[in-house]
Amino acid sequence: MNLEYLKMSPLEKFWYNFKGFFKRLPSAFAAFFKAIPKKLKKFWLAFVGIFVNIGAAAKEGDWKTRTSFAVMGFGLICRKQVLRGILYLFFEVLFVLYMVFFGWKYLAKMGSLGEVAVVTGKDPLTGITTYTYYDNSLLILLYSLLTLFVIAAFVYMWYHNVKGNYLSQQFQEARLHLPSVKDDIHSYADENYHKTLLSIPMLGLVIFTILPIFFMVFIAFTNYDKAHMPPSELFQWVGFENFVNVLGGGISANSKVFAFTFTEVLLWTVVWAFFATFSNYILGMIVAILINKKGVRCKKLWRTILVMTIAIPQFVSLMFMSQLLADQGLINNLMLKWGWIDKPIPFLTDGTLSRVMIIIINMWIGIPYTMLICTGILMNIPQDLYESARMDGAGPIRAYMKITLPYMLHVTAPYLITQFIGNLNNFNVIFLLSGGNPPLDMSGVPTGAGKTDLLITWLYKLTVTESQYGVASVIGIFTFVIVAVLSLILYNRSKSVKNEEEFM
Amino acid sequence: MADVTLTHIYKVYPNGTKAVKDFNMQIQDKEFIVFVGPSGCGKSTTLRMIAGLEDISAGELKIGDLIVNDMEPKDRDIAMVFQNYALYPHMTVYENIAFGLRLRKLSKDEIHRKVVEAANILGITEYLNKKPKEMSGGQRQRVALGRAIVREPKVMLLDEPLSNLDAKLRTQMRAEIGKLHSKLQTTFIYVTHDQVEAMTMGTRIVVMKDGLVQQIDTPKNLYNYPGNKFVAGFIGTPQMNFFEGTLLKKGDDVQIKFEYTDAEITVPYSMLYKAKLSYLDGNSVVYIGLRPEDISLASGDVKNNKAVVKVVVSHKEDLGSETLVYGDINPNGDGYVESSTRIIIKDNSGRELKAGDVVEAALNINRVHLFDKKTEESVLPRVPEYNYLDCEISKGKIKFLGAEIRLPASVNAEDLKGELLLPTDAVTLDGDLQAEVVSCEEINGVYLLSLTLGGKRLYAVLPEPVDAKTVGIGIDFKKITVTACGENKIVPMPEVNAFPCKFVKKKICERVEVNGKTKKKKSVQFGLTVADAFYGVADETAQKIFTALGIKNAYAANLRLECGIDRIAVAESGIAAEAVQTLDYGKEKYLKCKVGDSFIYVKTEAEYTGNICLLPDFEHVGIVEIEREIKII
Amino acid sequence: MKMKYRSKKGAERASLVAIHAILIIISVIWLIPFLLMIILSFRGETVGTSADYIFPKQWSFNNYIKLFTETKFLRWYGNTLLVSVAVTIFQTIIILATSYALSRLRFKMRKPLMNVMLVLGMFPGFLSMTAVYFVLKEINLTQNLLGLILVYSASSAMQYYICKGFFDTISKSLDEAARIDGASRHTVFIKIILPLAKPIIIYTVLSAFIAPWGEYMFSSFIMLGDPDQFTVAVGMKSWLDNSSLMSDGYFAVFCASAVVVSIPITALFIWLQRYYVEGITGGSVKG
Repeated sequence: MNLEYLKMSPLEKFWYNFKGFFKRLPSAFAAFFKAIPKKLKKFWLAFVGIFVNIGAAAKEGDWKTRTSFAVMGFGLICRKQVLRGILYLFFEVLFVLYMVFFGWKYLAKMGSLGEVAVVTGKDPLTGITTYTYYDNSLLILLYSLLTLFVIAAFVYMWYHNVKGNYLSQQFQEARLHLPSVKDDIHSYADENYHKTLLSIPMLGLVIFTILPIFFMVFIAFTNYDKAHMPPSELFQWVGFENFVNVLGGGISANSKVFAFTFTEVLLWTVVWAFFATFSNYILGMIVAILINKKGVRCKKLWRTILVMTIAIPQFVSLMFMSQLLADQGLINNLMLKWGWIDKPIPFLTDGTLSRVMIIIINMWIGIPYTMLICTGILMNIPQDLYESARMDGAGPIRAYMKITLPYMLHVTAPYLITQFIGNLNNFNVIFLLSGGNPPLDMSGVPTGAGKTDLLITWLYKLTVTESQYGVASVIGIFTFVIVAVLSLILYNRSKSVKNEEEFM
Repeated sequence: MADVTLTHIYKVYPNGTKAVKDFNMQIQDKEFIVFVGPSGCGKSTTLRMIAGLEDISAGELKIGDLIVNDMEPKDRDIAMVFQNYALYPHMTVYENIAFGLRLRKLSKDEIHRKVVEAANILGITEYLNKKPKEMSGGQRQRVALGRAIVREPKVMLLDEPLSNLDAKLRTQMRAEIGKLHSKLQTTFIYVTHDQVEAMTMGTRIVVMKDGLVQQIDTPKNLYNYPGNKFVAGFIGTPQMNFFEGTLLKKGDDVQIKFEYTDAEITVPYSMLYKAKLSYLDGNSVVYIGLRPEDISLASGDVKNNKAVVKVVVSHKEDLGSETLVYGDINPNGDGYVESSTRIIIKDNSGRELKAGDVVEAALNINRVHLFDKKTEESVLPRVPEYNYLDCEISKGKIKFLGAEIRLPASVNAEDLKGELLLPTDAVTLDGDLQAEVVSCEEINGVYLLSLTLGGKRLYAVLPEPVDAKTVGIGIDFKKITVTACGENKIVPMPEVNAFPCKFVKKKICERVEVNGKTKKKKSVQFGLTVADAFYGVADETAQKIFTALGIKNAYAANLRLECGIDRIAVAESGIAAEAVQTLDYGKEKYLKCKVGDSFIYVKTEAEYTGNICLLPDFEHVGIVEIEREIKII
Repeated sequence: MKMKYRSKKGAERASLVAIHAILIIISVIWLIPFLLMIILSFRGETVGTSADYIFPKQWSFNNYIKLFTETKFLRWYGNTLLVSVAVTIFQTIIILATSYALSRLRFKMRKPLMNVMLVLGMFPGFLSMTAVYFVLKEINLTQNLLGLILVYSASSAMQYYICKGFFDTISKSLDEAARIDGASRHTVFIKIILPLAKPIIIYTVLSAFIAPWGEYMFSSFIMLGDPDQFTVAVGMKSWLDNSSLMSDGYFAVFCASAVVVSIPITALFIWLQRYYVEGITGGSVKG
């Protein structure tokens, strides 16, 4: 940082950084691409390393080690590391049983996703049409995917088994102390405690999050929709067709509509997330400051009143609000009766108004939450900062802009980012309040989405009501990429902020 | 209650930074050792490695007789006191102290007895039922000490335990920890950045900087004989004054000229016997170190002293009992900024001075420290490595200090006049030259013998003390260096031979008789390959290599085998070498051999020519990993 | 000088009055919907959606009686409570274990694991619903509360962020001291970290407990077609979606049920507010 920079005005500073950013961009790109070969090489070395290790075990290993290539854990059992050996063996047996009795069937059909869906016939006695179901594309895809996961896990375990067996051989040869069964058990409460703690959470994560995500990614390459609905119909692999459709390059008229809807919804999603996050943040902070100001009475009362909104389940208050604000809702009815208006105000049925209303109602829900968090942090702002600001002649607003806000932003950056991402995917508020309404048209053609729909609620409609699974998956992938990129950028930026030792 | 031995301890982080480099130390039972140094010098890392909170990258750590490198902290029988006390906030003082005992499954009564006893020692009995939160810093520190002593550990580790306390409490706790040490009779290892703490508490102090041990010595010796400029500056407040200057030998005197000013003083050469002659040529710049307390402004001292410099006073700090006078020996200098002419004087004379006054200051030349400008090592080491002598070689005889010795046949040099670099450990007591013994003092386990030969000083370092008034000295010619006209005419023989080598394993198949049947028994032999030949090593050695390098990397690492010239011998089989020359030093003979491109020296009885084989004595070799330059054995 | 002093004090007082006024307005805005909800729940007469008045013409408990006798509300309430309690237990254990491992233990996959979980958390969850549904179906857990519990608990590890942030604020030297005292990492977790993590435990418990009451997406999908297994959110939404019920005055019943759902949670929340705040400020801030 040079001294010139310090005397610049904020605008000049911004311009300086802005220019600097673009000046550095080429070299940053160059550095990035320069790093690629190195990374590739590292990756390649790690990859080769696997085979080197296996080769070493095959070449240098004694018969016990070599036997464990086929019978997992054999060498370990022979070398008195019975527990680990038996676990490996147990895993292998399970794997074989799984493959023989379950996995193989599905994996074999993964390429075609099934050939015969259903055979209709007539019961010769009663004359009723009977359906015999055979292949279910959905299940084939899901279970073959599961089988792939299981195979990957097996390969991983097998590699570790080979390495572990060879290592224990080397330990024995080196006359080093081999951990006994007792040591092993103890190590799971100590050196290997992370395995104990993480195994179950990770298993849940793999089965209920990672596997479904892969499944969804695969679905994006199929024509799974209303016309191809298992179990009565099969669906097939279609390559990148869905992607092309969503991006507007498809042949069908639908494709253009999709592209239009996607951009509209995406735009609103980002706008919504921005306003929802920052309105809550700033107003919540102000409320917290007000409540915590010296001299304000009944602090606890104010806080409790606000906290009630967090405590009452969101869906209750949201549904209640949606009822109140409906065209024939209580508020409109009251105002009509009192003669304030002639016809109902379309709170949740007019595009712009409903968008504004949603943001306002979201404030009503979100402000107390921010207030709670800010209360704790506000107390931690060093008082001498304010005192020195007052010495320098700063009023309350200036003090807020120069001290409170920067401090809070600095400290709560991770929270703010989490909120932003949460809002990008905020299903409840939209779905329960407006349900995405009013409908969004593309010059008269209904798009199926609504003007207040976020990507996520639109996706919900696409899957649950329209059963357009293939397209929905594509949009899901796009959503995921957008959210992931945005938040990774934000996280990394805030990390650089965090690394600055002190606030000032 | 145990010795702690650190051998070639390294801490290398994954990014390659070496936090601790080759730490070697033998801590005796019941010692109070202080690690001191500026932050980031590796002192805390070393302590944490002893505690087991950090992995040891290489080297061997022994507590008592046990190698504890891979032991969990809980099994090492140590206790530690942390800087921030690390008391468990949710437990009362009693529970805090009892926690370790409960985990060790002692009986309730015994725990109670021990906790109460520890609380009594530390005077915290009345707080036993309080939570740490309710206590002051000093009390918390006492609880932390209590938690440590209650387990009666073999070694107590203290990591800057007093730095969170205020000055007064610190002094008090310092005394209490000292008392605790003498009461418990346990080994204490104490880390601090505060040199005052170190000086007042330690029986021995380890001064560290940048991961390297600078000096290990008693507080007194550190103060009086700092081994380098860093130690000199680190120990003592206010800091030692460092000037730059040149030394010029004029007969029996040496003139010290200060740089950047025209001040100069004269000291007798006898003070600088230990200095290398090249420092005394009036050209090479050295640091001149003098402590503020060794400079006097008292008029009596100034009058009777030849070493007087003029000082321009810039400001002073009155401490009541004494005054710190800041000034500059350069008339234009600024006494505020640390420079090589700034001077700080501890003045007891009570003279009234004001800024701008020019006063004369007497330097106590007996306490002058000199340091090399580049290496910052002391020019006057306590145990000198070399004697620096003028010499003359003619007709195969070397003349120095008025004596004359015949050079052995293998040392051939033309006639010349030059300088003789005679290592102090190359002076032996089995020769014919009669020298007078001036003194014999023990310094860190060796004996420094000051001799007079031909009226000049000669130093010898011996493992045993000498009682006689005169001794007959000889010279180990393989260690000497003679230079003339800037050229080395005679060079010493290297003391260590180095071979590149690799660690390997070999499968062996033996036939063993079991119950009358011959059975094949397979086993594995570890060894080193040096120049394509395999040599088995003891399991212990193999294990050290494994612990230092890991079981997987051990075979891939490039190693260097180091063996002393007397630890290798000509044998029937071994490393192929070509005998080049036999070097005869009279009492001993050495064989110069060629292995690959490098020369190897071997102590020998007989003479050899042509191709021979060399066999190192694998029980006494050193092994170094080349990449990280880590000494494994 | 004296005058100025006084005027400063006066200005301060005026601003305090203004602040109190603002706070009162805010409180009213925040309270009105709830008061309205409570008032409407006591409406005795049957009015369709076209009611144009607030206070009931006839105060009565009928809606509450109806709620517990005519509808399946009690059953839904029981379902949700069961799911909540189970999820609270599993989720708390999983989150605490994951956070401790990520905060305190050092292993090779730690950083990648954290990043992967961070990224996974950004995935629109319900897109995986179809897959989850069929996985559950394979083990016969669709239209089953156990299935719902499984789904809610299984991915809890991803919510490690705040809890880990809290653990990170606990001084590491406590762990080290305990390990030197003879504790294994497990003992450190149980005896040192957990007792110090009370606020974050309460925060985790509270969030886990509340979540099933408001979750609609997964529960509606998994329980589709079996009203006996609905949670309150799905059940109440089903009333709103049924226009004939709505015109039959079910809005008042809806309000009554909303009150019944809200009261215990609100009470719990207000009771544990302090810890909740400590937990979230400790965890989300330093994270």
